[in-house]
Amino acid sequence: MIAGRVQPAPRVSRPRLFARGQRLLIYAILLIVLAAILFPIYWMATISLKLPREIYRQPSLWPKIVTLDNYRVLIEEKGFLTNIRNSLIVASSVTVLCLLIASFAAYSLVRFRYRFKGVIGRLILFAYLTPTSLLFIPLSIIVARLNLGNSLHGLIIVYLTFALPLSTWLLSGYFRSVPAELEEQAMVDGTTRIGALFRILLPLSAPGLVAVGIFTFTGAWNELLLALIFITSEDKRTVPLALQYLITGDVLLWGPIMAGAVLSAVPVVVLYLLAQRFMVQGMTHGSVKG
Amino acid sequence: MTGDSRITRRRFLGGVAGGGAAVLGGGRLAEALAAKSAPAVIQGGGKLTYWGGLIFSDEANQLLVDTINAWGKENGIETEVVMINQNETNQKVSAAVESGTMPDALDMGLDLLLLLSNTDQLVPLDDLYDRIGQAHGGWYESIDASASLFPGGRTGIPFGSSGNLLFSRRDVLEAKGLTPPPQTWQEVSDWSAQAQDPPLYGMGFALSNVGDGNLQISVLQSYGGRIADDEGKTVTIKSEETREYLQWVSDAYKAGLFPPGVTTWDGAGDNQAYLSGQAIFIANTGSVYLTAKEDDPELEAATHYAPLPAGPKGRISPINPNFRAIPKTSRDVEAAKALIEYLANPEFMEAYYNVAIYGPVLKGYEGFEVFTNPVHSGLLDLVKNGTAPGAPDVYNTAFADFSANFIVPKMVQRVVIDGVSLDDAMDEAQQQGQAIYDKYK
Repeated sequence: MIAGRVQPAPRVSRPRLFARGQRLLIYAILLIVLAAILFPIYWMATISLKLPREIYRQPSLWPKIVTLDNYRVLIEEKGFLTNIRNSLIVASSVTVLCLLIASFAAYSLVRFRYRFKGVIGRLILFAYLTPTSLLFIPLSIIVARLNLGNSLHGLIIVYLTFALPLSTWLLSGYFRSVPAELEEQAMVDGTTRIGALFRILLPLSAPGLVAVGIFTFTGAWNELLLALIFITSEDKRTVPLALQYLITGDVLLWGPIMAGAVLSAVPVVVLYLLAQRFMVQGMTHGSVKG
Repeated sequence: MTGDSRITRRRFLGGVAGGGAAVLGGGRLAEALAAKSAPAVIQGGGKLTYWGGLIFSDEANQLLVDTINAWGKENGIETEVVMINQNETNQKVSAAVESGTMPDALDMGLDLLLLLSNTDQLVPLDDLYDRIGQAHGGWYESIDASASLFPGGRTGIPFGSSGNLLFSRRDVLEAKGLTPPPQTWQEVSDWSAQAQDPPLYGMGFALSNVGDGNLQISVLQSYGGRIADDEGKTVTIKSEETREYLQWVSDAYKAGLFPPGVTTWDGAGDNQAYLSGQAIFIANTGSVYLTAKEDDPELEAATHYAPLPAGPKGRISPINPNFRAIPKTSRDVEAAKALIEYLANPEFMEAYYNVAIYGPVLKGYEGFEVFTNPVHSGLLDLVKNGTAPGAPDVYNTAFADFSANFIVPKMVQRVVIDGVSLDDAMDEAQQQGQAIYDKYK
């Protein structure tokens, strides 16, 4: 009788078992990596919600008393919103100008033929590789002579000198991946070279532009040394500089510092979330070409 | 919770004297003072720029800004006061000297004053120095010795003195029957061994390559060791006295009396160790007192403040004065001098000391009430009985460079971390030190 027969237990094949184990192992490793990455961010956020005594004397994973006083101190007493505004002005301006100029520069390097093109391309890369700490004194002389010291537009110009070489190099790699025939076809159809650049090449290079834009924005947003040298007035300080000024002598105001770190991370995180797909695509394209 | 914090802040602010409160009330004191003693004629031209040294106390920073601006208003001089974080003064000044954008006057520490004086960047201020001294009871001897260290005259006007005091956890020590302060460094280590209970360790002293690590120079000197000879030219660090010091610090380290990580601490390491209840003893200039008073009054109440302990050969407790100076590129030296002279007036200085952790520099300031509180009285004692910077060694450019290269903390690290013998560690320090001193022969 069929009803009386004992059904054999379903057997899991050895390869499937192995695959399942492998997947579990991968998830376990990913979880550990995720925890290692997220824990400092979690710690930063919790410190920003703690009272000073709890930060020092009773460290705990979760604040016993949640307070927004650190944010109040930062915003009301330290004027941190002004610093965020300054950073937004500087980082956005640098990004827009950098994308515009680097696009032309990269286009020239990729599409035109002229003498010393290769040397110029390499020199651009060398300029990027020069450490900032070696350049700040010569730069300070130039900035002073041009009367650009202690101004946001001065800082924008200085940042451009560091952002442009890398951006040009990355965009060159990306532009090379777009067939020149597409632009030539557009020009046969009557558009100008500039028109082909704006209507064909740049739209097709959108992921690269986004990646370079985010990279430039993040670099300008986080920069400290040059801001420290060139900005003097309190109302012109950028975010990293304002956070640095929360350390006076040997005293670190951990609560406001961490609150500032949380607030200053928000714009960059939002930007990355919006553009992460382009970011990965753009960076990998640019990196393997050229 | 927020309310508690605010109340504490109010209590703190309420605890400081009336000068600070007047400043918080809109700079009225500053204006009153400016009107009271403004000089008759100043060659005011363009804007007078002043770089003040940013310190932990917001009230002190604001008082300086308000006072200078009020003085400028009274004298028809446009002023711009920029508070520069003292951690970054060297970078700012380096760039400003090169680009010719130095301010008309600025605050600085002794090391930078020495550097700028030796490179002929500063205006000699002997006349002003003497005038201020005579007007306010004279300079303390230790301050006068510090201001007169450099050949070619005085280029800085002292306005406040700091230096390390020994902070002790009175509650922990008294529970073990020990009454602070310990008189010698040997007592510090002995008491630490008796009283510590990890994670509360005894000796919260940095052994790393930061300014706090150079406290070990003073400890070494109190054991009789010397960095260089009396000429300040030949390094003499290898000695029996240095060996004795190294043996002491090595024994204490091996006995686990230092909190973990002291060899890599940054400048805030001792602050955080003490405030987080991980150290019984630290050496600190007063910032921990201000922080604890505001954020952890129980800890502040349980703290004993005293001069640094002595070694077998005496007590080395160096003062560290801060100065106002005028760069040679100043656009209006006379106005800058008038401002600095004005800032020495007792009304302003009393209000300033009330909210800043500095000891007095002029004997006329000694009667200020603030010098009766625990830390300020310790700083007053330091000014009267402390040792001159670098003493018994000669404080010169080579000594400053030697300190900036952290040769002594590195020597200690070689012993306690790398396990190098005392002789080899001293030999290395001797060679490294001599290479530095040879640069200035």
